[in-house]
Amino acid sequence: MKTAVRNAFLNLLILGALLGFLWWAPANLDNYKLRIINLIAINAILGLSLNLIYGMTGMFSLGHAGFMAVGAYVSSLLILTVEQKNTMWILEPIAPWLLHLQTPFVVSLVLAGLAAALVGWVIAWPVLRLGGDYLGIATLGFAEIIRILIVNLTPYTNGSLGLKGIPAHTDLWMTYGCFVVVLAFMVRLMKSNFGNVLRAVRDDEIAARTMGVDTFKVRVLAFTIGSFGAGMGGALMGNLITTIDPKMFTITQTYSVLMIVVVGGLGSITGTVIGSVLITVMLEWLRFVESPIRMGAFVVPGVPGMRMVLFSVLLIAVIIFRREGIMGTREFSWDWFFPKPAKTTQTKEARE
Amino acid sequence: MKRCFLALCVVLVAAGVSFGADTIKIGVVATVTGQNAFGGQLELEGMQLANKLYPEALGKKIELVPVDNKSDKVESATAATRLIESDKVSALIGPYASGPTMAAGEVAEKAGVPMMATAATNPLVTEGKKYVYRACFIDPFQGEAAANYVFNVLGYKKAAVLTDVASDYGVGLANFFKANFTKLGGEIVSDMKYQSGDTDFMAQLTEIINQGPDVLFIPAYFAEGAVILKQGSELGAKFRFMGGDAMDNPDIVTLGGEAVEGFLHSAFAYDPSMPEMNAEAKAFTEAWNKEYPGKAPNANAAMGYDAYILIYQAILRAGKSDPQSIRDELEKSTNVPTVTGLTSFSAQSHDPVKDLGIVEIRNGKKSYIYTIKP
Repeated sequence: MKTAVRNAFLNLLILGALLGFLWWAPANLDNYKLRIINLIAINAILGLSLNLIYGMTGMFSLGHAGFMAVGAYVSSLLILTVEQKNTMWILEPIAPWLLHLQTPFVVSLVLAGLAAALVGWVIAWPVLRLGGDYLGIATLGFAEIIRILIVNLTPYTNGSLGLKGIPAHTDLWMTYGCFVVVLAFMVRLMKSNFGNVLRAVRDDEIAARTMGVDTFKVRVLAFTIGSFGAGMGGALMGNLITTIDPKMFTITQTYSVLMIVVVGGLGSITGTVIGSVLITVMLEWLRFVESPIRMGAFVVPGVPGMRMVLFSVLLIAVIIFRREGIMGTREFSWDWFFPKPAKTTQTKEARE
Repeated sequence: MKRCFLALCVVLVAAGVSFGADTIKIGVVATVTGQNAFGGQLELEGMQLANKLYPEALGKKIELVPVDNKSDKVESATAATRLIESDKVSALIGPYASGPTMAAGEVAEKAGVPMMATAATNPLVTEGKKYVYRACFIDPFQGEAAANYVFNVLGYKKAAVLTDVASDYGVGLANFFKANFTKLGGEIVSDMKYQSGDTDFMAQLTEIINQGPDVLFIPAYFAEGAVILKQGSELGAKFRFMGGDAMDNPDIVTLGGEAVEGFLHSAFAYDPSMPEMNAEAKAFTEAWNKEYPGKAPNANAAMGYDAYILIYQAILRAGKSDPQSIRDELEKSTNVPTVTGLTSFSAQSHDPVKDLGIVEIRNGKKSYIYTIKP
């Protein structure tokens, strides 16, 4: 009981520290650093939602970019002003009912998640009858279908021209607010019985079914929740860079989320958070190899594109030396910092 | 050993940060990796050449700071933020292609740093922007001029269009071409589509051949455009092919061989084969051949060069190198001589009015054959 109180206290402490940081950061850090800190939160949301689908429930899904696209478009279309919509659709006029549709950003964010979840739910019915690599291929196909629909539904999406000048509402409070909610939800979920059911489905589906679990229903539910996260993450991402087009949501977008999940550790919430920090920061930090480096009299000319080479080498190293990712399936716990009480008394008794 | 390596890393990072203080920095959101690396690399080389020829302004050294964008929108926005915030650049030169330019442009606009786009021809790039300019013409003009050339100069009355529906550039240009061609009294006999990344165009080409047009307009990027030309000639197409500025590639003949003979494309008004070059273009070609022997320049390189010159001239006229003064002077640019013609901006329009060139592949050589005045 005491540990529960201690953990709650420490969690509150961490939350307080985060709040303090969010309050301090905008005034003291430049926009470049703030942008990266924002990206970390968004990548973490995307990573967590994919981890729920792939890491926790064992469904190899390559459809994340598709759900992100749904979220990004729904949210952007709901917050663009009427004048902006009028000037942007230069190929075909915008659908009249869409022109005056407008909501506050937070509402659009929730609707973006719901829309993505709905699409995910519809897709889940046919594709989740597949397993393993087949599921990967099928979800990849559906993500492409979503993207091609966006390209061709010009009256609603402005086709391949995309949307620009999306009013920016994404600040640290918004991204980290969403991140904390998603994180808390995931932690609660995985500690609940439903979390155990998900792991059971992942580890041995037949055994889970023998125990009376409706595995198909469980998988559909996990997939739908994951899609919700992807939609919300996509909406935040679109709003952060204030312009979106269908080309943003190709398979490479899925890979970059997948990379975060795999590097962090499949099935570990902590791992995904660490992975998103590491990969987002690394991609930017490694840029120093591209600028000319002066060492005394020597000047090493910078080679543009070099950081991608270095980055790939680092990824290969992670996969060779730590195949299970940084955290494996382990989770962060406050117990790491405290000696286990039961054990210490035992050793004391033994000593006496 | 480990410690040595660590120490080396620290030294490298520290060395990377220590730059001279008395410089004017121009940031480049460069496209040197990813899908558009080919054109982006040429642009960057054009800028570096311009930097070599005009290395100083107001007694200070001008330094180009290129940052790669992976041909990606998110990376473009991050790169622009990085250049503005950590490198404290006075001005930006934009990436290749319109999509990434719009992403970087939003950042520049918010930060109040002027940005010169190179070859981003989509009309939305500068729309409503105070700090974003471009060195090239825009797609409505290119589409109109191409339609005019085909209809009036070549006398073709029936055209077909094959559009990349996944590219904003392709869709926009195709639309402006079709609208103007029908307005002139021509007929679009076939309007086919494909997606970026496709490699088989046989079905569309067969259908187009059946309709018997005089010319096929392909507003494509080079990767797909080259394949379309090849498959068209394999199918025995009798009509002419015409492309847009993105089909400009110095190696087109080596890559395409027989299949590209007779191919036409519109271009920013520069090509090393131009018969009457202006003074800037002459100077550029000469300097290029000296700097990169054995490598032909093209319009992309010229656009990179021009973007640098426009900012350089604005700095000279302003007599100051802070972003706001450069922006204000850029807006007052009137008839600045650049490689691709005289460039002017005004408060109403950040899109210069420029000539359009027509290039034809004739006897296995790129030849600049026609200039269309706006």
